[in-house]
Amino acid sequence: MTIEIGIDPSAYLRDKYAIVGVGETTYTRGSGKTTRAMAVQAVRNAILDAGLKPSQVDGMLAYQNGDACFSTPVAGDLGIHLNFYMDIFGGGSSVEALIGVAMGAIEAGMCKTVVIYRSMNGYSGVRIGWTGVRAARPVEGDALHNRVYGWTSAGQRYAMSFMRHMYDYGTTSEQVAAVKVAHSKHASNNPKALYRKRVTVEDVVNSRMVCAPLHLLDCCLETDNATAVVVTSVDRARDCRHVPALIAGVVGRACQPRTDMHLQYGPVSTSVGHYARERLWKAAGVGPEDIDVTGSYDAFTFTTMMQLEDYGFCKKGEGGDYVSNGTIELGGRRPNNTSGGALCEGYTHGVSMVIENVRQLRHDVDDSCPVGPDGHKQHTFDYREGGCRQVKDAQLSTNLGWAGPDKGSALVMRRGTR
Amino acid sequence: MADTPHKPVPRPYQDTQAYWDAAREKRLILQRCRDCQKFQFFPRGVCSHCLGSALEWVDSPGRGVVHTFTIAHRAPHPGFANQVPFVIGIIELEEGVRMMTNIVGCDPNSVRIDMPVKVTFEEATPDITLPQFTPA
Repeated sequence: MTIEIGIDPSAYLRDKYAIVGVGETTYTRGSGKTTRAMAVQAVRNAILDAGLKPSQVDGMLAYQNGDACFSTPVAGDLGIHLNFYMDIFGGGSSVEALIGVAMGAIEAGMCKTVVIYRSMNGYSGVRIGWTGVRAARPVEGDALHNRVYGWTSAGQRYAMSFMRHMYDYGTTSEQVAAVKVAHSKHASNNPKALYRKRVTVEDVVNSRMVCAPLHLLDCCLETDNATAVVVTSVDRARDCRHVPALIAGVVGRACQPRTDMHLQYGPVSTSVGHYARERLWKAAGVGPEDIDVTGSYDAFTFTTMMQLEDYGFCKKGEGGDYVSNGTIELGGRRPNNTSGGALCEGYTHGVSMVIENVRQLRHDVDDSCPVGPDGHKQHTFDYREGGCRQVKDAQLSTNLGWAGPDKGSALVMRRGTR
Repeated sequence: MADTPHKPVPRPYQDTQAYWDAAREKRLILQRCRDCQKFQFFPRGVCSHCLGSALEWVDSPGRGVVHTFTIAHRAPHPGFANQVPFVIGIIELEEGVRMMTNIVGCDPNSVRIDMPVKVTFEEATPDITLPQFTPA
């Protein structure tokens, strides 16, 4: 850890802000609802989960790709009087970065408590693959030299990074298939996951090829849903319902040195974590070895692998072993995406993975374990199918958000106290 | 509308007109900065290495190697429907720049990283010809 980032560590906002509320809609294919109606539902659930009233929320941040309503009507529907709001463009890696933006807005005195949400009809509305209607849009700008060659979908955009990783480090399809296997096990213990069936490595590598080397089961779901989190200061967090998930450190949207067309520069088999990790771990005051549970974004199986590797959870080039040796499964040293993630639970552009880690740090994951007299889950730590998915005594989590190999965000959260 | 939709084609503009004009003549040209002598792809108004604006066009022999690639098994646009599976690749040219292309004229499953390739040209429409690459 040698990169000088030019900021006094004492100036960080480490553990001064927290996520106090989380909420979501059902993960579906065919919501029958507008993105506005789903956002209202998810934000409502998050505010109620926090134990807050709408009058205690005065900030809103939302992100989208021209596929969702803006935050102002959502705030209006909920009777929220905004002192601050912003709608930005983005998909994966937006939520972690916006958590940092929310902290900055509160720190600047612009507002006191911020809801961040993403609402998308990612299956029944505008689909992520940029097929259909979107494919017919004019070719211009930086698409001039890309789309004319059929380079369009997320799978095509990222597959070439994995192809080169296989070449540079000997990583195999079977190794990254283990990510889908692990996440399917986790999803089988998550009643709200859309895909709860456990799969094998053979199921993944024998599924049809979509864009080599990515098979169908290497790719995440497309679903309709809204998801939300509530960010406030640690002082206000004390009045909320749950143990707060303190924000230890955040980076984002960090980039590779060149973002005009990353495949044209630098090592293709390295993702942005390589450039962002010093800042992240220095901000959080911990290292990857201290982390109990991760949420490495699984748009594809290999994105989980590549990010864990580049943020330093294993040595460069050893990500294939790391994700296939049991480490990332429940019961392993450091489970990843215990909800089942985008590969199995539902596709929400990252908020769901933050929600899951907040629940992990509360020690109150919503699995099928019995509820005790205190209203909290009595976790069995029996991870067999249909069982528990709580990580024992989880204290620290990391989310690694992927906007591409060249752009991303990361978040370290710590279990707080009431 | 045509019976068979053609692939999406570029709409040349100020910075790229010369590139597409050359492609129609079956020539691959690259931009080089007169100040720092570095190449850049794709064409733009400013050198992204040194911010110089004295950019010149240089003919390229169009030789390079496959840096990475994917084989697309689904058509992202109806214009690609009769081509699947097709290869999308990044070529590292001898000049040092990398460019996106399709790798054509071979079995997609025979494409390998570091495989030598050379430029070829595909007349996408009467106005637009696309530089493509094929095994050397």
